[in-house]
Amino acid sequence: MSDVRGMMLLPALNEERQIAAVLRGLAQWANGFEPVVIDDGSVDDTGKVARQAGATVLRHPFNLGYGAALQTGYKYALGRGMDLVVQLDADGQHDPADVARLIEPIVEGAADVVIGSRFVERSSYRMGLTRSLGRKLFGGLGKLVGLDVTDPTSGFQALNRVALELYARDFFPADYPDIDVLLMAHRRGLRVVEVPVQMREAPRKSRLHGGLRSFYYVYKIALSLWAGSGARPRRD
Amino acid sequence: MQDLTNLDELRTMLLSAPESRTTAVLAIGLSLVLLGTVLFMVRRRALREELTPIWIAVALGITIISLRMDLLRWITRQIGAWTPSSTLFFMGEVFLVCICLDYAVRLSRSSLQIRILAQETAVLRARLDRLEGEAPAAGLAAPTE
Repeated sequence: MSDVRGMMLLPALNEERQIAAVLRGLAQWANGFEPVVIDDGSVDDTGKVARQAGATVLRHPFNLGYGAALQTGYKYALGRGMDLVVQLDADGQHDPADVARLIEPIVEGAADVVIGSRFVERSSYRMGLTRSLGRKLFGGLGKLVGLDVTDPTSGFQALNRVALELYARDFFPADYPDIDVLLMAHRRGLRVVEVPVQMREAPRKSRLHGGLRSFYYVYKIALSLWAGSGARPRRD
Repeated sequence: MQDLTNLDELRTMLLSAPESRTTAVLAIGLSLVLLGTVLFMVRRRALREELTPIWIAVALGITIISLRMDLLRWITRQIGAWTPSSTLFFMGEVFLVCICLDYAVRLSRSSLQIRILAQETAVLRARLDRLEGEAPAAGLAAPTE
């Protein structure tokens, strides 16, 4: 484990009140991985607080979106020669105690993308109606093409270098990377697996996923799936 | 049958109605104003040269149609319209839809380029901070109980 070079990526938007506690919570589970906060154009002191808490901060000059923030982290990790990254939300929803479980399949060479799923096992986590319906609909579509994931919207994931190289490409969505990205990875021959994780209720509604955007999310993923279905599967 | 004959006659009458000279002059004036505006904006660097051909073509198109109204009538007959003015509206709408789509494509491309640039900026800034020793050593301190 010690010879694996890894990073923890935390895309953050106006999380100055949460980010220090989240980073402190990560410390004992970090496995020596470098914590990297991607400050997606926050108007508060998210970047400053994160830096003081010991994280490397990548700051977007303006808001680009959740997906773009993740991708900035991927590009940084690739440039730094990382073997794997763990991505988790900066609002404290994800339990850092699950990190070891998340990276295990990658370290063992059994997976390229590991999703921390709230639904592999019974969970008390509740999501909104629109997102819940979207999850079931797109999960069903994924099954049709052989990708069996119960929680495609989970932001708690681990990726190895092969997945990072794919996700650093221009197709990666700037707003909501989701089942469309997982399907693209699946079609490219990457191994996608899920492990059960616990997820807390967010301290406040996520600014990256909340409100009417849930409806746009369903529309956008449907369109993205259709567009991605035109791409030829190939193993790089 | 009688009604259909009347409609054909009406259409023939509309298509053969003489055009007003004033309309032609106004149209030529409009095309000259459009042409002048485009050239002025290019000179003021408010419009890039590579975006001008479409507008120059529109100005020339309006001029040609103003001078050759028979051409507009011929197009009207070909597309099954009733009056030259409705043909002009139709062509205008098609043009606007095409130009909106073109700009949407350009906007998508520009958005991607801006995103890549902003990401590069963020990554380079972090590297610069590391080189200048501003960034903390990688890794978090374990919490003290």
